Amino acid sequence: METTTAPTGSGPLPVLRFLGLVLLGAVIGGVAALFAAGFVRGVLWLNEVLLISPRSRMMFAWPEWLTLTTVAVPTLGGLIVGRLHRSLPERRPHTPADAIAAVQTRRGRLPTRAGAVSALTAMISLGAGASVGQYGPLVHMGATLGSLGARLLRLGRSDDNITIACGVAAAIATAFNAPLAGIVFAHEVVLRHYALRAFAPIAAAALVGHVIATQALAQGALFHVAETAVPRAWEFALFVAIGGLGALLAGGYMHAILGVGRLARRLPLRPDLHPALAGALLGMVALWVPDILGMGQETLRFATIAGAFGSGELLLVLGLKVAATALCLGMGFSGGVFSPALVIGTLFGALCGTLVAGLTGVSQESFVFYAVCGMVAVTAPVIGAPLTSLLIVFELTGNYALTTAALASVTLASPIAAQLFGRSLFDIQLRDRGLDLSSGRGQALLMDTRVIDYLTRECVTLSPDVSLDEAIATLARERHGESYLVDTQERFHGCVALAELEAARQEAGPLRRARECIDAERPTLRSDTTLWAAMALLEEVTGEALAVVDEGIFRGVVYEVHIAHAYLHQSDALRREEHGHG
Amino acid sequence: MASRLLTALLIVTALGPAAADEPLRILSWGGAYERAQREALFQPFTEHTGIHVEVHRYDGGLTELRRAVDDEAAPWDVIDMTRSQAMAACDEGLLQTLSPDLAAPAPDGTPAERDFMPGAIGDCALTHTLFATVVAYRSDAFPGRRPTRIADLFDQRRFPGPRALQRTPAVNLEWALLATGVPHEELYRLLSTPRGLGLALERLDALEEIHWWEDGETPVRLLTEGEVVMASGYNGRFFDAMISRGAPIEILWDGQVQEHETWVIPRHADNPDTAREFIRFATSTERLVALARRIPYGPARASSAVRVGSHPQSGVDMRLHIPTHPLNAERAITKDETWYARTLTRMEDYFAEWLSARQARTGEASAPPAAADDQPVAP
Repeated sequence: METTTAPTGSGPLPVLRFLGLVLLGAVIGGVAALFAAGFVRGVLWLNEVLLISPRSRMMFAWPEWLTLTTVAVPTLGGLIVGRLHRSLPERRPHTPADAIAAVQTRRGRLPTRAGAVSALTAMISLGAGASVGQYGPLVHMGATLGSLGARLLRLGRSDDNITIACGVAAAIATAFNAPLAGIVFAHEVVLRHYALRAFAPIAAAALVGHVIATQALAQGALFHVAETAVPRAWEFALFVAIGGLGALLAGGYMHAILGVGRLARRLPLRPDLHPALAGALLGMVALWVPDILGMGQETLRFATIAGAFGSGELLLVLGLKVAATALCLGMGFSGGVFSPALVIGTLFGALCGTLVAGLTGVSQESFVFYAVCGMVAVTAPVIGAPLTSLLIVFELTGNYALTTAALASVTLASPIAAQLFGRSLFDIQLRDRGLDLSSGRGQALLMDTRVIDYLTRECVTLSPDVSLDEAIATLARERHGESYLVDTQERFHGCVALAELEAARQEAGPLRRARECIDAERPTLRSDTTLWAAMALLEEVTGEALAVVDEGIFRGVVYEVHIAHAYLHQSDALRREEHGHG
Repeated sequence: MASRLLTALLIVTALGPAAADEPLRILSWGGAYERAQREALFQPFTEHTGIHVEVHRYDGGLTELRRAVDDEAAPWDVIDMTRSQAMAACDEGLLQTLSPDLAAPAPDGTPAERDFMPGAIGDCALTHTLFATVVAYRSDAFPGRRPTRIADLFDQRRFPGPRALQRTPAVNLEWALLATGVPHEELYRLLSTPRGLGLALERLDALEEIHWWEDGETPVRLLTEGEVVMASGYNGRFFDAMISRGAPIEILWDGQVQEHETWVIPRHADNPDTAREFIRFATSTERLVALARRIPYGPARASSAVRVGSHPQSGVDMRLHIPTHPLNAERAITKDETWYARTLTRMEDYFAEWLSARQARTGEASAPPAAADDQPVAP
């Protein structure tokens, strides 16, 4: 186990070390931002070349071939993506969930190769028009670059966590051109605590990312709102209600993705062909409703314009977009969940706005408020980041009234979704993989540590048939209070305590066998028992140590004092990481 | 104005030192535009270098240039061409490539590539000025209010009265889609979707009375005669009607669609070095200012746009009338010429189909052209 990572004393050395970390954050921010800008450019270029973007489709000289390319491009893209994913150990692309897990369990050390392959497959997926998002891959790419930086400089785990967060912040700051949202996202979703020691490098990274974004990317804002009317007071009640309904839609969206993933595992088709099948289905539906292809930025834009869609159309595109995204992500395309959630949420908000206008007959001046409320109501629960969603709205529009409306919506959306489904899609995915973050980082950390790390054979083992006298003599000689009864085949029979042996000798005489004094209450551990489970057992047990037994075979013991020490050590490391300030 | 189809030859006499042997032959557009160029560019060039300038008149097409390049003997050294023509000519290999550092830096040292507007420095063409298609309105038509946004063109509730629009998809589709609230940067991307195209045509269709014009003088006539209250047209023509004829019209700069006028050097030109020297001279900050004081075409350089002063004769403040002045250019549309090059036929088909359906329904006809005009191409 590593020891101190965050010097807490004062003096010039810790200050210099801290400034070095801030500088490293800025460098990682710069690198991550350049990669992010390159990624975004690459996707745009692929979309043009592969006839996915509406502009390239309109400019294509032979429109009669578009039917063929619309189906062929996502299918072939899926084929390549499936083939590339075979080279990954988990046979699936890495996502922000992996970065979150690495930080929350203080493992750090994101694998570079898997990160690179995932970024490449995400670019191909997006380029070929799969209905997936680009921000998830950007976040994971930034995290991988940050972790790589920490590894190259041989930094400790706490610093690795910070550099991961730096990469994430820079990626968001670049992609959205929103530095504050980048900083808050890194804290809210990845670190999940606030420490000044982490804040400064992350802020530096986001700032550098922002500067590079304005210089290198110069892309239009994700959405654009001209001067808006101020919504009527009673409309805020509707915005809150949209938040509540949006949370349910977000839950449906997340479960659709997970559900298709479960179905796909039962599909009688080689897993590396799954994305190609999804691509073919997507292409065929896109012939009818092209709005579902790709990230859907044009659809997003039109959804903020009153009258661009009829309410029937909104419902149709909304349903198909959920289905298309669940299909693409569930069947193994690589990509994020955020961009489709933006589209779905905005369509949902537009639907609410259209219905309200239809029912009350009021003018549609505040239409964009409904669209934005729907947008945050769906995206905030999906990525588990209400503050980030609000800041994105604020930084992209600079519109305070709109941000307030979004706040009304997210007030209900995030807690309802967290209660019903989980903190975010990432958390649900990690829970399915056995990492429960719902009770915070301390528990996650203990659940990620196995008792086997503390296993020792330095204990008194006796044959079950040994006499009480001999057992007591051995324990006294070894200065131990407990002994473990193990036979010649290494089978574990139980634990006996000195006090019980002595009491039995007093009552029944010295010729009894040790096995008659076994403490039936004493639990045993397995080698895969987590520190968290072991701590729970300790609440009911008093004694020296717990035996580790796998299928009847005795492996050794873990001393209770070691479990307690490990717990204190983990807590101390967390406390230093989360409350250190330089 | 003399006919542009004539290839009249004008020899500008140098006032300065003795002229060099070979004159520089420039192909330009004639009329008031050429007069302004002569005062602002050609005469000072001759004074500066002693090189005579011969001006030939340009008909706007590429046929003659193609023939000249085939014969490997171009009769001109420099041509004043619209950017879309220049792009086509460049693709056909009719032009010489220009070095990116051909243009001089601004007086304060700002390098040319930052001083010129984006897209002005091309492979074969250097944009010097921009003209604009704009909406103009009668200043007496809407008492107490005036249009400020391009969306007002489509708002017949607040700005009632008939409109005159050009009988083309270009410009009209852009304005109609902008009026729905889409951002400038995404205009052509959104216009590429069936939904965007549909929204634009729907917005156009909602206008109650449209007079369709085809030649540049018609909208000015319709507006000055009061037949319409708002009309699209070329900014130079509206300027002329406002200043020379005192017509009660004003220009709405919001949503103006700018097009570039460029200098190019044809392949096989006789004096490419003098041609380059001329282009560097004629696109300097100071010369572009001089030109913009004489004709309301916007200088392509930021350093010139802010320096434009008043018209030498009438004293009118030209800043209010040039398309690239920061106040006017704030919400200009940059025409996506590559997009149009590939989609024009399809757009024209969509537009014609929509227009015939509309005309069958409303009985609208095209406005008759104004008195025979000799400049079908030039703005």
